[in-house]
Amino acid sequence: MKLRRIHVATLSALTALSLCGAPLARTQNSPSPTPQVTFNRDIAPVIFHSCSMCHRPGEAAPFSLLTYSDVKRHARQIADVTRARTMPPWLPEPQPLKFADELRLTATEISLIQRWVDDGAVEGAASDLPPAPKFVEGWQLGQPDLILKAAKPLTLPPQGTDTYWNFIFPVPIQETKWVKAVEIRPGDKRYVHHANILVDRYGASRKREAVPGTGFGGMEIRIESQVFDPDSHLLFWKPGTVPVPEPEGMALRLDKGTDLILNTHLQPSGKTEIIQPSIGLYFTSQPATKLPMLLQLENDAKLDIPAGEKDFVVTDDFTLPIDVDLMAIYPHAHYLGKDIQAFATLPDGTKKTLIHIPNWNLNWQAVYRYAEPVRLPRGTTVSLRYTYDNSEDNPLNPNHPPERVVGGNRSSDEMCHLWLQVLPVNFDSTKGDPRMMLQEALARHNVQKNPADFEAHYNLAAMLQARDQLDAAIAEYEAAVKLRPNDATANNALGAALVAAGHPDQAIPYLRAASNNHPDYFDAHYNLGIALATQNDFSAALPEFRLALRLQPHDAGVEANLGAVLAQIGQYAEAKSHFERALQIDPNQELAKENLEALQRQMTSH
Amino acid sequence: MAQQSALDLDGKPVDPLKAAKGKIAVLVFLRRDCPVSSRYAPTIQALARKFSDTATFWLVDPDKNDSPSDIRAYLDQYQYHLPALRDPAHALAKSAHVQITPEAAVFNRAGQLVYDGRIDDWFIEVGRSRPAPTTHELEDAIRAAAAGQPVARSEVRGVGCYLSDLE
Repeated sequence: MKLRRIHVATLSALTALSLCGAPLARTQNSPSPTPQVTFNRDIAPVIFHSCSMCHRPGEAAPFSLLTYSDVKRHARQIADVTRARTMPPWLPEPQPLKFADELRLTATEISLIQRWVDDGAVEGAASDLPPAPKFVEGWQLGQPDLILKAAKPLTLPPQGTDTYWNFIFPVPIQETKWVKAVEIRPGDKRYVHHANILVDRYGASRKREAVPGTGFGGMEIRIESQVFDPDSHLLFWKPGTVPVPEPEGMALRLDKGTDLILNTHLQPSGKTEIIQPSIGLYFTSQPATKLPMLLQLENDAKLDIPAGEKDFVVTDDFTLPIDVDLMAIYPHAHYLGKDIQAFATLPDGTKKTLIHIPNWNLNWQAVYRYAEPVRLPRGTTVSLRYTYDNSEDNPLNPNHPPERVVGGNRSSDEMCHLWLQVLPVNFDSTKGDPRMMLQEALARHNVQKNPADFEAHYNLAAMLQARDQLDAAIAEYEAAVKLRPNDATANNALGAALVAAGHPDQAIPYLRAASNNHPDYFDAHYNLGIALATQNDFSAALPEFRLALRLQPHDAGVEANLGAVLAQIGQYAEAKSHFERALQIDPNQELAKENLEALQRQMTSH
Repeated sequence: MAQQSALDLDGKPVDPLKAAKGKIAVLVFLRRDCPVSSRYAPTIQALARKFSDTATFWLVDPDKNDSPSDIRAYLDQYQYHLPALRDPAHALAKSAHVQITPEAAVFNRAGQLVYDGRIDDWFIEVGRSRPAPTTHELEDAIRAAAAGQPVARSEVRGVGCYLSDLE
């Protein structure tokens, strides 16, 4: 059971910065009530705290801010960008719910910088200069347990629009590993605006590469993930990101055969750049004991923004079926996004702002982690409210003059997404996995919001089937297939549910559609074989099992079923060899065991 | 020792207006450590090529700490095929009224300053740029100067790094 969804995942965040106002000390030898502001005493502490981690060699910023002469060379520019709050880059407004890594200058700090520049940007007394900031060189958490490097670099042309490129990193592990931290090294940090890791457990992304190892283009990518093991981590890099280990018990599972996909946003620099990212993985022996989940609020279906529209509002409201702790939030819109808000309305009516970005800028999008988990009790409604500006007044408008814009994956399309990393709390574990209640509620919400949402119907069906609500599940799978008649996954799931409900005859057309549309689809051939065999159509079942076996040569179940069908049509010798092979693969394969015994009895009685 | 006039990369004083020999002279002021300047490299090179018959382009580096070899390496990296000048005392910058990198100045055939300001409206502020520029002030100014017409919009300031920070 797979579902498609976007997985954007993160362990990382900025360094925690405590921004303290620089002292406004009165100089002793001056009677002036407003003493001269100096770099060494007043400005260096602000710069060292809030700028130097990016403005140093090897980091994302275009020039260093480590010494007086560095800062002096950009003094007026620094005064401008701090006053405009373009720098340091921090989009959210201040709010009661604090983020872990707030990078906002205080009003006092900003006015100090203005005064310093107005006063001639003087250096001041050497004795006032605080120690230079110290930074960890190389991998921030020490030598990683496993380093993955993009097989081939990307050549970024000198000019043109921003590039969105996906690098694929096969993970060379032979057994399941638990990852407690990830460090993303995006290549040359000066040209990478942000990067996201997506976990691809099925190798689906490799099919998109024109040449193996080179990666593929695309701003938004969708990767199938297990509906019963949903994606749960936000693995995100932006300039200044220092990796932080996951909270205790929240390691990320990596299985053999998993690929990590690094989705990068690159900006041309004026000259040709070579970008070759790497990823450092830090393992732990502790499997995950706490299972968070990424809840996605969205309303792309409502995005149909007329040309010239200045205030186009899109909302989504989802009521939580269980208690959760909100760990992190990741809003996402493209170039028309203007005002981005998310809030929670608690059952007692209290409203909490989760994030408010009044001047959205895709270039500085980020995952925001809360300083403390935010408890949201069952019955809380989480809401997004995004405003879009598709007028000529929006300088980032991809169309000039403006054109009608709809939801979509290209950068000139628009998006309305909000991811919340939530950890279920206060649940009764005897009643099953609480994430499934969230998944089901979310799928139900999405079906109501947008009856044309294929994934919502599919996910709701999968959840209902897991709760043995077969008839309801079949109805939802049917809705999904109606929306995408050629989707192999949905056809197969509907067929499998019909077989399970005792309607193999009804299942067969859907399973045939699944295997026709996706000839290499093991599940479809296997299920079709079962459905046909259940109908006693053994000669038709036979080629389906043979195909399935070719697709998965080490599957004991296929071997056993193939043997059973062969036995039914009297090909006992070959049947026997398949039962034996099934038992070699899995000595406890019940069907093979029973059939082999029956076959041996039959052969000796003849 | 501040040098009063602009120097070419061999250290010889150069007056770009005289050197333009009756063509329009375009001075483009750049800083190596100004990312906005650098991102404009392909645009500037393309403009120079487009107007090669009517205008002589000069790149001007106002950073007194930059050596000729620093500048040569930069021109090579950004694939410039334009002459570059050092303006360590900001003599050219002052006569061109330029305050920010990147900004350009256009002198007509008579050597009069007819435009100084931004190249186009690509950047809105530092770190925020349009998908593509929607106005082209430098190009418009060169065309107007070539046609002997007055420049419609003069002195639209650039977005980038201040020359005064280098003083």
